[in-house]
Amino acid sequence: MASADKVRQIQLVGKKIRQLRKEHKLTQVELSQRLGIQQSDLSRMEQGEYRVSLDTLFRILAEFQMSIGEFFEDVAKESITPRDVQLVEKFNALPDEAQREVEDFIAFKKAQGRRGEGQDPDLDD
Amino acid sequence: MRQDTEGGHPEIDDLKPLWHLAVETGRLEEALEILDRALVLARAHGDARQIDFVICDRAAVAIELGHGTAEVPRLREILVRNADIANCRVAAYNIARFHELNKDHKKALFYARIARDRSELLHRRDWLASSHNLIGNTLLAESFVDRALEEYERALEFMPLEPSPARARILDNLGYCRVLQGRYREGFSFLYQSLRILRRFQAERYQISIRLDLCFAHLETGRYRDAWRHGVAALELAEKLDEPQSEKNALYLLGETAHLSGDMERARGYFARLQQTFFPEATYLPGFLLAVDVRKLVNLHA
Repeated sequence: MASADKVRQIQLVGKKIRQLRKEHKLTQVELSQRLGIQQSDLSRMEQGEYRVSLDTLFRILAEFQMSIGEFFEDVAKESITPRDVQLVEKFNALPDEAQREVEDFIAFKKAQGRRGEGQDPDLDD
Repeated sequence: MRQDTEGGHPEIDDLKPLWHLAVETGRLEEALEILDRALVLARAHGDARQIDFVICDRAAVAIELGHGTAEVPRLREILVRNADIANCRVAAYNIARFHELNKDHKKALFYARIARDRSELLHRRDWLASSHNLIGNTLLAESFVDRALEEYERALEFMPLEPSPARARILDNLGYCRVLQGRYREGFSFLYQSLRILRRFQAERYQISIRLDLCFAHLETGRYRDAWRHGVAALELAEKLDEPQSEKNALYLLGETAHLSGDMERARGYFARLQQTFFPEATYLPGFLLAVDVRKLVNLHA
């Protein structure tokens, strides 16, 4: 992945942190104190200039736990890995009939996984 | 750790090469035992400079082992007393290192710069190298990658050319910066030079960081089997040598490696282990890490 993409991803996270901070009506000083980091570091994080340790990253996640689903939504969409690209390329190289079989198999595995976890009662009907 | 020993107690002079070698190869518990003996001898001898000398070297080892809190007031006292430039330099360096390990990078930078200035006064190239390396570490921890890189390049300039664990650590830092910059070829070159040196010296403790950086570099370039190999080696060493911060990074990187290579069960296993061992409250973590690739956010040297 090009370095420009990486920068953009970090910037998206920074924007998300700023957005969530404002939704929670916290100032940079207040949030930085809760996270145990300097206000200037939080400011750089919000501007997408800052990588953090796992500890700090998970502290940020914990702070916004209620919004975890949406927290990295934008970033997740951007996070296409080289393996993802390879898989799509391999899939596209298959004949139409084989592609349909793969899609059916994925749907089957997905349903199987859901039934196994018991999280989607609709599938049992 | 320094080599200036003139005017010392002969028995302490005999111990010095032993603790230097132990430190250089990462056998820190052994070094601490030798330094405890040296401190008893220095106190019996009564020479204040010699006592400060041993206190500083002992503190350096205690700090690396995570027992540095009690050492800092003694080091600050040596620094403030300003009786001997060399002892002041080592005291400042050790305080900086303590703050670095405790993630207080601004304080670390302050003391590291004092250490660098004292090293300049003494014209000690090896001390200049380690001071610049430490300044680089504090800058890198705060994501000032370009500025950190300049410090590491200066550190390497001052470092003697012959292979040593200290040189290997600078190469490791340079390599990681280059990987972060996306300059992978240079990054791998530095990282593998570093690994070769550390293997030669059998410096296991210092291999943890380089293995983690190599795992990350291979992940970034899509070479998952190599990433796996270095990640596993890092985890084994981190567990063996009780380095919890490195263990966290290794578990995360191995989970990410498994995830990217399509082994979801194994990925979930590593992320779950990371969560259960280090973040027991954060039950959402394994699921989150399976859903989101956070490589671009994580600083392994922070």
